[in-house]
Order: sequence, then structure tokens, then C-alpha cells
Amino acid sequence: MRDTGRSTLAWVGLAARLVTGGVWIVAGGLKITEPAASINAVRAYQLLPSSLAEVVGIALPAVELVVGLALVVGVFTRGAAVLSALLFVAFIVGIASVWARGIEIDCGCFGGGGTKAGAASAYPWEIARDAALLAASLLVASLRRTSLALDSLLFARGSEERASATEGAVS
Amino acid sequence: MSSNSKASARAQKAAEMRAAQKKAEARRRILTIGGVALAMVLIVGGAIAVSLWQQDKDQAKLEEAVSAASDYGVAIGPEDAPHDVVIYEDFLCPFCGQLENATRDDLARLAADGKVRVEYRPFDLLSQSFGDYPIRATNAFALVLEKSGPEVAKKFHDLLFENQPSEQDPDAATDDDLVQLAVEAGATESEVRAGIESLSHKSWVDEATAEASDAGVEGTPTILLDGKVFQDGRTVEELAGNLVSELE
Repeated sequence: MRDTGRSTLAWVGLAARLVTGGVWIVAGGLKITEPAASINAVRAYQLLPSSLAEVVGIALPAVELVVGLALVVGVFTRGAAVLSALLFVAFIVGIASVWARGIEIDCGCFGGGGTKAGAASAYPWEIARDAALLAASLLVASLRRTSLALDSLLFARGSEERASATEGAVS
Repeated sequence: MSSNSKASARAQKAAEMRAAQKKAEARRRILTIGGVALAMVLIVGGAIAVSLWQQDKDQAKLEEAVSAASDYGVAIGPEDAPHDVVIYEDFLCPFCGQLENATRDDLARLAADGKVRVEYRPFDLLSQSFGDYPIRATNAFALVLEKSGPEVAKKFHDLLFENQPSEQDPDAATDDDLVQLAVEAGATESEVRAGIESLSHKSWVDEATAEASDAGVEGTPTILLDGKVFQDGRTVEELAGNLVSELE
């Protein structure tokens, strides 16, 4: 009974991994070849000094891509999920902050970015989406293991058990 | 006794095997972690390299386009001034309006002192999202430039930004308003009214827009200081302040 519960959770975890990871891969991938737009998008939040906005605009898409790949493949799953959750918290704070300051920008979540009239109407939905993805990331981070993760192959927990089994055979 | 020592030898052997196995296991684990981490670093590095390469390419393209003289704009200051500023702008873009407010007087003064040549290159960036005001205003600018010359055109350009409509309601600025501002700048009403109403210089607007787009200008205002994109500032006010202090 407990085992079925655990394995259901492991499959839910897989689904959460694929959705969140997929979103990251798309979000990062679209921005990597558009660095100018990406830097512009970061700058539009008017939170970071110019030179830092440039670094973030270049580095963030790369990080998004790797977090996405790690989640989809299931390698360093919990670490990637924690990083993913932190990024979503940062984005929610960012969007909430432009909203509060009355700045209307395209969130630049999937490329694009910069000022956009009437953008404020999209903020609630953008925050809701990021909150849902944050929840999915936290779920993955909370699970010891999820289905079809490369981690299970690479760091097979069986090895210690195998060792004690061999020992049993020898003695 | 002998069976005892045999047993202890066996146990010792088993312990050794177990230790060796554990060691091999630990080594494998470290190698795996290292390998995966290395792969991640390589992907991040590769992605950053692609972005930087693209950025260089974009920048080179923009700089090349800017160094070429443009027929689609108006300049102030001597051609042999030590600094050279090009500003791509859309008459409707609110940041352009803010930048104009924050820099107009200083740039005009610096240009008059011979310290900088400033070239304003208006084009239509926003008509797709906000209606035809950018086209109407840029058309009027082109017409005034042709009929009344660069000095009146510059003044008209300033007036357009001072009386900029909002993106929410760009049609608040009617063709009549454009005519009135053109006349205020020094144009003759009979020379410009018909052209403003019929968009006589629409092709100028299209060509200016194509030129900006070919140059890779993706947003406004795009400022180039001595051929390099200038974006040193968190807000438009900071950007304006930094630009002016670079030129002083």
C-alpha cells in the first residue's frame, strides 16, 4: 500500500520534472541566440545596474537551459529542482516588483522583453504560472526519487545492498 | 583452533573485499558526479559562448550600419566634432520621450560648443502595436525636413516629443496637431498640410525603418556613442546623465 503510494508519487514527480524542465529548455533556448533582446529584457525590470543586467542577460538563459536538461533527464534531480524553485521565486519577485512600481513590460520569459503597453494585465497570469511551476519544482525537490531518472542509474542505491549480499554469500 | 583461524582468515578476507569494493564504489561515484558536473559546465559555457558570439555579430553589424551616413535623419553639431552620437528613436516611444526631455538641452549645448555631433534617426518601430501615429509623425518629419530644411526639422522633432501622445491613445494627436506643430517649428502650412494628410513621405518612413532594421536596431531609443552601443544606466534618467557626462 505504502509502496503504491510512493510509486505514484514517483510518476507524478516525473511529470513535474518533464513539464518544468521542458519550460526551462524552451525559455533558455529561445534566448541564447538573442542576447541583445535578453539583456534588454533584464534591463526593462529596472532592478539591476547596467553591467550586471548584461551579465544576467547572457548567463541566465544558459543556466535555464542546463536546469531544464537536468530536470528532463533526471540528473542531479534534487539540486536542479531546488535551483529551479529559486529561479521561479526570483521571477515572481521580479514581476511583482514591476507590477508594484507601475512599469509595463513584456516579462521576457520566453524571449522578447522590453516595454509594452497594457502588459500589466498579463502579470497576474504570469505570476500564477510561475507559482505553479514553483510548486512543481518544490515537489520534485522533496522526493527522494522520481521515475525514469538518470540519477537512479548513475547512483544506484543497490550497490551497498549488493555488497552486503555478497558478504552474506562469502560468510 | 585451526577451524577458528580459518574462520577468522575468511572473515578478514571478506572485510578486505568489502573495503576494496567500497573504495571502488566511492571512486566510481566521484567520477560520475565529476563527469555530470563537467558536462553541465560545458553546456553552460557553450551556451554563453553562443550568446557572446551572437552579441559580437549583432554589435559589429550595428556599428557598420551606423558608421555609414544615413539620409534618414537630422544632425546637429559640426561633422568633425570629437564625439559622435546617433540616436534611433520612434516618435511614440515613451522612453524616447523621456530621453529627449533629459538630454535635449545638454546635447544642443554640447553640439553648439562643437563637442559632439548628434544625429537623430527617427523610424517606425511601434505602428504594428499602437496604430499609425509613428508613421504619421515620421512622415510629417520627413516632409518638413524636405520643405523647410534641417533646422526647422530638428525643432519640429523636439516639438513632437514635447507633445508626445501616450501609447494608450496615440490618435489623440491628430493630423491637425501635426500641422500646427510643424508651423510652430517654422514650416509653411500650405507646404506641409496636404503631405501630412496624405502621408506623402510614407516611402521615406519605410526606407528609414528598413535601414534601422537592417542595422539590427531592435528597440528604441538605441543610442550609439562613437559607434558603440551606449546603454550605461539602469533608468532612462541615469542613461541620459551618463551620456551627457561622457561628452562634457
